[in-house]
Amino acid sequence: MKKRYLILYLFPAIFFAVVFFIVPLFYIVYISFFEWNGLNAMKMAGIQNYIDVLTDKSFILAFKNTIVWILAAVCIHIPLGLMLALLLNRKIWGWKIFRVLYFLPNVISITALAFLWYFIYHKDMGLLNWLLEGLGMGDSAKGWLTELGTALPATIVPFAIYVGLTTVIFMTQLATISDDLKEAALLDGAKGWQMDLHIYVPLVKPAIVTNVMLNVAFCLKNFEYPFVMTSGGPVNTTTTLALYIYKKMMNANQYGISMVGSIFTVLLGLCLMVLVNSLQRGKKGD
Amino acid sequence: MFKKFLCGLLSVSMMAMLMTGCGSSPAPAAEPEAGEQSNATTVEEASEPEQPAQADGEVTLELYHSWSPETTRGEVLTSLVDEFNQLHEGKIHVNVETNPDFPAYQEKVKTMLSTGTAPDIFHYNYNPNDLSYFESGLLMDFTPYMDAEWSERFESSDLETLTYDGKLLSVPFESAGAVIWYNKDVFAEAGITEFPDTWDGLLEACKTLQDAGYGGFSLFTGDDAWYSVNLITALWIANEGAATVNASTSFQTPGMINALNTYKEFCKYSTSDVIGGNYSVAGANFSSKKTTMAIDGSWFTSYQDEAVIPSIGVAPMPANGDGVATQGYLVTDAQTPWAASAQTDPAKEAAIAEFMKFITSEEATKTLTMEGSVVLSAKLELSDTDLAGVTEQMAAYLKVNGDAPSRTTNLQRNLSTQAGAELPTLLESFLLDQITAEQFCEQLDELN
Repeated sequence: MKKRYLILYLFPAIFFAVVFFIVPLFYIVYISFFEWNGLNAMKMAGIQNYIDVLTDKSFILAFKNTIVWILAAVCIHIPLGLMLALLLNRKIWGWKIFRVLYFLPNVISITALAFLWYFIYHKDMGLLNWLLEGLGMGDSAKGWLTELGTALPATIVPFAIYVGLTTVIFMTQLATISDDLKEAALLDGAKGWQMDLHIYVPLVKPAIVTNVMLNVAFCLKNFEYPFVMTSGGPVNTTTTLALYIYKKMMNANQYGISMVGSIFTVLLGLCLMVLVNSLQRGKKGD
Repeated sequence: MFKKFLCGLLSVSMMAMLMTGCGSSPAPAAEPEAGEQSNATTVEEASEPEQPAQADGEVTLELYHSWSPETTRGEVLTSLVDEFNQLHEGKIHVNVETNPDFPAYQEKVKTMLSTGTAPDIFHYNYNPNDLSYFESGLLMDFTPYMDAEWSERFESSDLETLTYDGKLLSVPFESAGAVIWYNKDVFAEAGITEFPDTWDGLLEACKTLQDAGYGGFSLFTGDDAWYSVNLITALWIANEGAATVNASTSFQTPGMINALNTYKEFCKYSTSDVIGGNYSVAGANFSSKKTTMAIDGSWFTSYQDEAVIPSIGVAPMPANGDGVATQGYLVTDAQTPWAASAQTDPAKEAAIAEFMKFITSEEATKTLTMEGSVVLSAKLELSDTDLAGVTEQMAAYLKVNGDAPSRTTNLQRNLSTQAGAELPTLLESFLLDQITAEQFCEQLDELN
């Protein structure tokens, strides 16, 4: 295809990327050098906002929490989705119904799900404590969202277990595996988990990369779960980078600080994407 | 060849359509469908750059406030706006948009102002330590409209407070005192016949209530921690006196430190959702009798379940019995005035002033107080006959409010924006024993 056509076809995408991403990104960088409350005149602050953010304990905590979310995505959410996909791939009885059931939470608003889990975790009227008491484990009942040690894991659990979309992406990839390969493996005596481990898992690597990228992006943008369930508390233990950015802008009216938080979030995202891509390339080269 | 030509043509057409979309004038707003409310217009739509009022046409104003139409005060305010619209039919029409989540409402107003999409009229919490609204130059100046007759409606001190650089940038509206609301029936059931007049006595009462299966104060640390900070402010006043607290420029005082420690004691007799809870959760706890007391403004009953309202009593603020503070002092909310976004159209500006005069008139103030259970900044004399017409709870509130020996603003309302934003985190750190009361005060001073 001639280059001029390529440019013509790419122009709409480039135009929108520049207008709605590149220009705002530069504006964010610009504002990050100012002290501004959104209403009054902006005052040049130089790199002071960057120093303030990097020495802000709540930012460090939000950064750590976001990393924990990403680790939960990579170590729990994605493996869980893969296991479920492999299970459903065996076409067990009712697998289509299970696939729909697992996917269902993905079409429900995260805000609604977060509210649901807020009530599940409630100390006095929550389902979890009620179950624990019913099982004779009343001593373990607690305010899951208000205690320092349990609040962060509690906000991550809904995300970790709602693996519908991740599973569907894996299943789509599994469906592309040639029957010849499966038959060859069967003829070689591969059975059950051996098929999963040596045939299916290596062949769904592109889907693993896709899921890692999608879930890392979700974790970087993650706002609703901590906002609805804990407002980032107690003592900022559940605040994520996205919530930190919101709080600095909307609660504290520190727009410059908020923009610095956004820039660090973008940088973290870029680093992670580069890491994932380089790992993938490394594997291909092996 | 033909395919390439077709693809190229389609691409060019698509871009042309996009460019047309970017550059063309917005299409005229569609007429509302039959059955649609005319006031369904969103604030964003309505706050597009000034629509010049036609000389003979109707001026449309957008009013944005936080009083839910589901509550008594919101219902009364809505009916007053309807009355205004009827009185000015064909000349002025006020559309109403509400957001009952007050902290979120305030954040949205600031954002709307900063993005040039502010509603015409709104209310907000005045904070003497954060004059960003006044300094923004985005508020309408009411000075030309504040004639002798209108200014008579307000205390001169209120008008002075809202005047900045010689311009009256807001109109006094609400200035609520917070009192202790308690469940009389539950107190009686627990064997407490009289409301304690000291804080120590109230702590004892909380123990008794707990033994009977009930909680003490409704408290929460989320959002602006309104109930918690009311209690802390009240305890601080009891320890050091209203005059000292009002003049204090630091939180690192023995009285404040003691107040925080006593507050922590009271938290032990509250519900498990003090940490992270918010106004709705804490209010619902009172309604469901999980708690039996709350320190709140005159609007408290309008958020309560109808079944519990007859049981609600009002108590004056206890003291320590050492003469430092006189029982019955008030902790107040910040002054919540009306403001309007700066206008370029004189007709619209005049319409805003007209509405402001109406809503702060003696008649409207009386209606809002008697029917909406709110206490407003505008002057109001209520006769015995008027008082006989209000609910038992409102009458009790008005008595405690009127008898108050002193008034002190809730300490959160005077904090800098940054300190106010960090207050919930500090409270949670304190309640979870991560910091001491001394460290709490030190950190709050630093942030402020």
